[in-house]
Amino acid sequence: MRLRSIYGTSTFRLSLLYAGVMGVSFALLFGVIFWSTSRFMQHQIDDSVNNELNEIMSAAPGDVAATRSIVTGLARQSSGFSYLFQDAHGRVLAGNIQALPPRVGVFEWDGETKYSDRRRGHLRGQGVRLADNYLFVGWSTYQLQEMEEFIANAFVWGTTAAILVALAGGAIMSGRLVRKIETVSATSREIIQGDLTQRVPVAQAGDEFDRLSLSVNAMLDRIETLMGDLRQVTTDIAHDLRTPLTRLRQRLEIAAHSNADEQALRQNLGNARREVDDILAMFAALLRIAEVESGARKAAFSQVDLAEILDTVVEVYRSAADEKEQHLDHSIDPRVATIGDRELLVQLFANLVENAIRHCPPGARIVVMAQRRGSEIEVSVSDNGPGIPEVMRGKVLQRFVRLENSRTSPGYGLGLSLAAAIANLHEAPLAITGNSPGLRVSVRLIASAGA
Amino acid sequence: MNILIVEDDCDTAQYLLSGLAGAGHSTTVAHDGQEGLEQASGAKTWDLLIVDRKLPRLDGLTMVRRLREAGLMSPVLFLTTLGSIDDRVDGLNAGADDYLVKPFALSELIARVAALGRRPRHAVTATSLRVDDLEMDLLAREVRRGGQPIDLQPREFRLLEYLMQHVDQVVTRAMLLEKVWDLSFDPHTNVVETHVSRLRAKVDKGHATPLIHTIRGTGYSLRAPA
Repeated sequence: MRLRSIYGTSTFRLSLLYAGVMGVSFALLFGVIFWSTSRFMQHQIDDSVNNELNEIMSAAPGDVAATRSIVTGLARQSSGFSYLFQDAHGRVLAGNIQALPPRVGVFEWDGETKYSDRRRGHLRGQGVRLADNYLFVGWSTYQLQEMEEFIANAFVWGTTAAILVALAGGAIMSGRLVRKIETVSATSREIIQGDLTQRVPVAQAGDEFDRLSLSVNAMLDRIETLMGDLRQVTTDIAHDLRTPLTRLRQRLEIAAHSNADEQALRQNLGNARREVDDILAMFAALLRIAEVESGARKAAFSQVDLAEILDTVVEVYRSAADEKEQHLDHSIDPRVATIGDRELLVQLFANLVENAIRHCPPGARIVVMAQRRGSEIEVSVSDNGPGIPEVMRGKVLQRFVRLENSRTSPGYGLGLSLAAAIANLHEAPLAITGNSPGLRVSVRLIASAGA
Repeated sequence: MNILIVEDDCDTAQYLLSGLAGAGHSTTVAHDGQEGLEQASGAKTWDLLIVDRKLPRLDGLTMVRRLREAGLMSPVLFLTTLGSIDDRVDGLNAGADDYLVKPFALSELIARVAALGRRPRHAVTATSLRVDDLEMDLLAREVRRGGQPIDLQPREFRLLEYLMQHVDQVVTRAMLLEKVWDLSFDPHTNVVETHVSRLRAKVDKGHATPLIHTIRGTGYSLRAPA
């Protein structure tokens, strides 16, 4: 099973391919060596044979008896050359080998030759006709064959060993990879079984597997957070729904059983309808957050005039601020444009201003500011109200998080979450800071070229 | 008006039917997209179609797109649950004339139905508007009543322009927020009331016959004296 899993790995398949390629390149290399070496040796033989032949012929030009004595003398020296001087009838006149068929030029004699000494083997040499007679000088091809055999052996053994080493290396490497990947797979399987707390062990070697493990772990952290958020939100929705639904039920119960006059009944029904509208508004806000977070709106981004948006928001909320005797001021650079979704940006700043108005006491001062800062536009909504304790600042952006635990004040704690989602969609995260005293919420939007 | 309601939810259809009948309209209900398509492309001409987005057999969006391709001229009002912005944009692109998010008040629906029914099929781009002795020059951006110039802020001008375009009709708060302030949500402030009362002070003050009327529980209406 284990071996089979190694053979099945991509690393092992790569090793096989590598071994194959290596075998082919070894064969090519040895082929070239084989060919050039034997060519070289043949040339060596041919050259020395030719020299010897020329020397014999120049020492006794055209003289049969002289040639015969020279060849006899040379043959006795056992210099390694084979000599043959024979007449037209194939009778050996002198030399140290048997008679040969009188072939002229360089050739290799494959037939069995008998030497005067114990050496055997094939001959390579050159023959010439001297009048009716025939002179041949040759050299044993024994060394050449030895060399060829040696190279061929070296090739077979060398290649076999190299391929075996490559395969063994591949198997070891695959084994290691299989083990490393198996740890990731095993962790994944445990997570699939439901244990989201599992993490892939990191070997601290700093290699690509550690980086993979770190990425996988980071992804798991994110998934765990999201799952936690989801659970939290589900619970929060259930809690937040129960209160108004209970109130609604009580209202309807009273209305059904009371014998109050028609006007009281109507008022009761009106209140019940408002209760339902609130619940529906909560769902609308939740759906809108989900829609914004999905990022689908990004496709419809276009150039928007932030100054116009902020002027509208200030205009719309001025009366609400006046009602609470708050001062709503604005300082808006008229040259601020960005790329975004107008409707969502209106909602974003409306939520921030509405939030400030809702949480600030009468007499508070709320300032909406937009300033161009280089390639960015900073938009801020600040107030001198009660502010948010520093530890809570990160939390208020989450869904359903409100400062009052009583949940008696209006709103469902979704306003800032929606604002944060819209800001993130515009790649301009919300920054919540203190305004000593009060609160300052700001975003840095990217200024568009048309500004 | 002859109104075709394409709505699969029987309760909602009944609610629309009785509400619109109360406002003097005659209505027919189709219960799915296919039936709606057949009814709408039948022999009878409709003054208005009220179409739910989510319908069995053929969804509202496709139905309206097919009807528009087939040359239907009647105005279409889309109804949808908890409006996502994309839905609204898609709906208007498919050829709808207005959009109303469920849940809605009957008064809101009736006002929008009235506005759609009176809408000229091919909008004429007027350069001036006139209601009684109130004149608006859209090019010079000037307003006069009885010959006397009235100085209006840009938003007040847009508000008055919308009211004059819908003379004798009821326009709701939501319609004004949408068309005058470009707001797709209700900020729950009295911005509309404040602007209308400011506009009223400029337009009606010192004149014997008021033109801007408040319709209790619904909205506003600009009316010429009878």
